[in-house]
Amino acid sequence: MTYAIETQALTKRYGKNTALDGLDLAVETGSVFGMIGPNGAGKTTAMRLLLDIIRPTSGSATVLGQSPITGGAALRRDIGFLPGELLLEGRVTGRSLLKHYAEISGPVAPGRIDSLAERLGLDLTRHVRTLSKGNKQKLGLVQAFMHEPKLLVLDEPTSGLDPLVQQEFLSMVREAQHNGQTVFLSSHVLSEIQNAADQVAVLRNGAVVKVGDVASLRASAIRRVVIDFTDAAADDIRTALLALPQLANLTVADGEVIQVTGTVEGHIDALVKAIAPFHVVDLRVEEQDLESSVIDLYSNEANK
Amino acid sequence: MSQNMTGSFLPLTRRNLADSWRGLLGWTAGVTGAIFLYVPLYSSFSGDNAGFEDIIASLPDGLASTLGFQDLASGAGYVQATYLGLIGFVLFTIAATLWSSAAIAGDEESGSLELTLAHGVSRVQIMAERSLGVILRLLWLSIVSALLILALNDSSGIDLEPAHVIGGCAALFGVGVLAASFGLAVGAITARRSFASAAAAGISLLGYILNSLGNQSADVEWLHNLSPYYWAFGNSPLSEGADWGALGLIFGISAVMLVLGGFIFNRRDVSA
Repeated sequence: MTYAIETQALTKRYGKNTALDGLDLAVETGSVFGMIGPNGAGKTTAMRLLLDIIRPTSGSATVLGQSPITGGAALRRDIGFLPGELLLEGRVTGRSLLKHYAEISGPVAPGRIDSLAERLGLDLTRHVRTLSKGNKQKLGLVQAFMHEPKLLVLDEPTSGLDPLVQQEFLSMVREAQHNGQTVFLSSHVLSEIQNAADQVAVLRNGAVVKVGDVASLRASAIRRVVIDFTDAAADDIRTALLALPQLANLTVADGEVIQVTGTVEGHIDALVKAIAPFHVVDLRVEEQDLESSVIDLYSNEANK
Repeated sequence: MSQNMTGSFLPLTRRNLADSWRGLLGWTAGVTGAIFLYVPLYSSFSGDNAGFEDIIASLPDGLASTLGFQDLASGAGYVQATYLGLIGFVLFTIAATLWSSAAIAGDEESGSLELTLAHGVSRVQIMAERSLGVILRLLWLSIVSALLILALNDSSGIDLEPAHVIGGCAALFGVGVLAASFGLAVGAITARRSFASAAAAGISLLGYILNSLGNQSADVEWLHNLSPYYWAFGNSPLSEGADWGALGLIFGISAVMLVLGGFIFNRRDVSA
């Protein structure tokens, strides 16, 4: 097994503030690896360390078999990077800016920039500073993907993109993986990357709290459920549901339609069986912000 | 696979120049305007009846020497006092301050340096190429200055040796490069545009003040030794030709500043 990215106890401190606290990650070559966590969890810090934009306080990182520091410019030619806060300015067209970035990264195949721009629906003739946030993000994606790097490091790649473009982005990620490229991406919303990532690491306070595939994370996640009943007594429903240990935050609103809401930890099997005797009009299991529920889960455990 | 060249020639310098040509056009217009405003006036002041010396004599004690107006009657003294040592010096200082503070620190403060750094370029290359971009723009303004002064040489009656005009503009280029090197180095070290600006403008201002103080009396004349402004202009390059030794010192200090800046830039974190 080879790893495109490996970090050992990677730590970054700014004075007393610890941005990254002993990060251990191993990203398999050819995989799509997602990193999720709330703002300030250390996702951006980790990526900037991999690109040698900042230097670690302690610990080490290996990117494509090299240290980011000694690998230097030659190593970065093999990486495509999308910063989390993409600031593009200037009175230049998108095409001119991309041409510049092509000059300072790996070789870009002829026609590659145009085909990527077309896929994402980006007008390359417009001046960069007149572009909307979403269009700047597309430009950022084009410059990251255009030289078909061995490793893509994408910080919040879907931010600002509308759902259709997000789908196109996901297909670009799959193609990259098909080409043998490794994709390392972050998000604070897991739902945006869950279709792309083979493995997901959950970061909190600068360290990994959980690594797993999306299915195993989802299995342990907390879901929000809303159930509408008719022709039943609210008290009976309440009694039946209070018996379920997985159900929390239960509310029962009596009326012509009795509406029950709550959150379920883990599988919803027990809940479905518990409501089966009643007349269920509607059952909604909301795929809520999965990463925040995962984080809640782990922070709750930490507090226990 | 593509056959596109990647290690293309000075990509960052070319980007730097491409991004700034509009501004440079404005600076060229400013330099042109200043020279066309001041140099032709010499012919109307010179001559026996112009009374130029009387005007200078009527100024309060010390003011004329502070402004470097001791020798306004000769063409060389006039162009030195009005353009090279004053308006041109101010324009070059401002340009060097703005350009050098923007090159690294300004780009870093705006957040766009991060993406450039994430590509296949080293910190040292960024420092070197962007410094070169600033120096080339200052060189352009110096060449424009020399050509315009030469163009007006006969009609205005300043009557300068062409080689001395080049020497004088080389001295102006030198003080501009020195200010820029301080701005570039301090910007590369501190990542703060305000510090970079203060350093660039500060070294020019300090040189000017030390020179003016040194002009006041023989007791404080030694202050000239500390003034880059005096090193560049103290020998009256327009009448005597450039003092290449002094300019070598100025360029040498500039180079040391740039190397020092690049050295520390290469070792520090770049902020978002």
